[in-house]
Amino acid sequence: MSVTAPRSIDEYLKQLRSALSGEDAALIQDALYDAEEYLRAEVAAHPNHSEADVLEVIATTYGAPDEVAAAYRDTEAKVKAALKPPMPAAATQGGGVRRFFGVFLDVRAYTSLFYMLLTLATGIAYFTIVVTGLSLSVGFAILIIGIPFFLVFIGVARVIALGEGRLLEAVTGERMPRRPVHPGPAASWLTRIADMLKDVRTWTTLLYMLLMLPLGIIYFTVAVTVLSIGLALTVVPLAAIAQHLGWAGNLTLFSDDVSIGPFMLAEHSLLAALLFGIVGVLVVTLLMHLARAVARGHVRLAKTLLVAPGA
Amino acid sequence: MDDSQARKFQKDLNAGLVALVLLAVLERSTEDLYGYDIAKRLQRANRGEALFKEGTIYPVLRALAAAGLLTSRIVPSYAGPARRYYRITDEGRAMLRQWSDIWRQTRGFVDRFIEGTDS
Repeated sequence: MSVTAPRSIDEYLKQLRSALSGEDAALIQDALYDAEEYLRAEVAAHPNHSEADVLEVIATTYGAPDEVAAAYRDTEAKVKAALKPPMPAAATQGGGVRRFFGVFLDVRAYTSLFYMLLTLATGIAYFTIVVTGLSLSVGFAILIIGIPFFLVFIGVARVIALGEGRLLEAVTGERMPRRPVHPGPAASWLTRIADMLKDVRTWTTLLYMLLMLPLGIIYFTVAVTVLSIGLALTVVPLAAIAQHLGWAGNLTLFSDDVSIGPFMLAEHSLLAALLFGIVGVLVVTLLMHLARAVARGHVRLAKTLLVAPGA
Repeated sequence: MDDSQARKFQKDLNAGLVALVLLAVLERSTEDLYGYDIAKRLQRANRGEALFKEGTIYPVLRALAAAGLLTSRIVPSYAGPARRYYRITDEGRAMLRQWSDIWRQTRGFVDRFIEGTDS
């Protein structure tokens, strides 16, 4: 070990952060959180000793920063391997066709599609919270309640960021933070506010919440439109059969004046219906692939904007 | 003999045992415990040289919670960041019984050779 032993909690956390550099940003956030919980409790438990004295023995009790970093690295690798739900064989193996339709066996495709539908609601909520919070913060700035209001607003935004991360981890399996953002060294209110204003992540979090409205509208519209087109086409063969058997009353699937090239659809209604059905299944399958891709891209965006980059 | 080899052996042994000990501590406790609390209980229990660094129990606690063997809740604290309190689940209790059996078998097996009772 070439680094000097940490003499304060902040120094310890700084060394732990650098020992974990290159690891997943979410893992670093969790490790710093756990270490700070222990160190602050340990300092509080020894009121007669100075922080430096308490930290002197930390290396033999809690462990030196690089030891702790190694423990997180090991455990994370093991847990990741154990908890990752295995991809169904059909989704990863076999020819192109099996792989193409294997998407229906992948839970993540369904959760991703659900997420696309949900983003309209969360997008509206996030956008409203940010716009209201920011404008009220500016408005209250000249009043005594301005500062506490701003702090509460940023706090709410951080809780939402954590919740959104948990949701995205459930949807895509990508590792997101499991602990709130580390609040930083204890300091006066004014320094904390200044730090918050200087912290890039504060603004990228708000940007993400604003972006969620247009993104949510796009995701929702695409999902609903393609899903209804696909499902409607898929059930056309059933409707055609029902019509053929006389169950459908006077339903007209293909009127006489619809023709593709020389074919009058009405004359070949069963064949045409079958073709529509096939197209419908293809559209729905493509949508499942699209949803998975969208969720994967979105989680990358979320990680860039919501999680502090690993030092 | 190099001390680092002894440490490596201890570390390899601990890999699974830490999880077993944590489950046992939480099973015996009548109240929910947080990381620091558990660390101190372990420290009191082993007099002298600590078998593992307390920092290594946190990632294991999180792993056990992620596997559904523990549940947790967050309680605000005056001393620092909010504390995460853990409690063992029924699934965790079942796992603890199974692991304890494996441990007793292993211990008996190893002892038979080390103590030389198998002759």
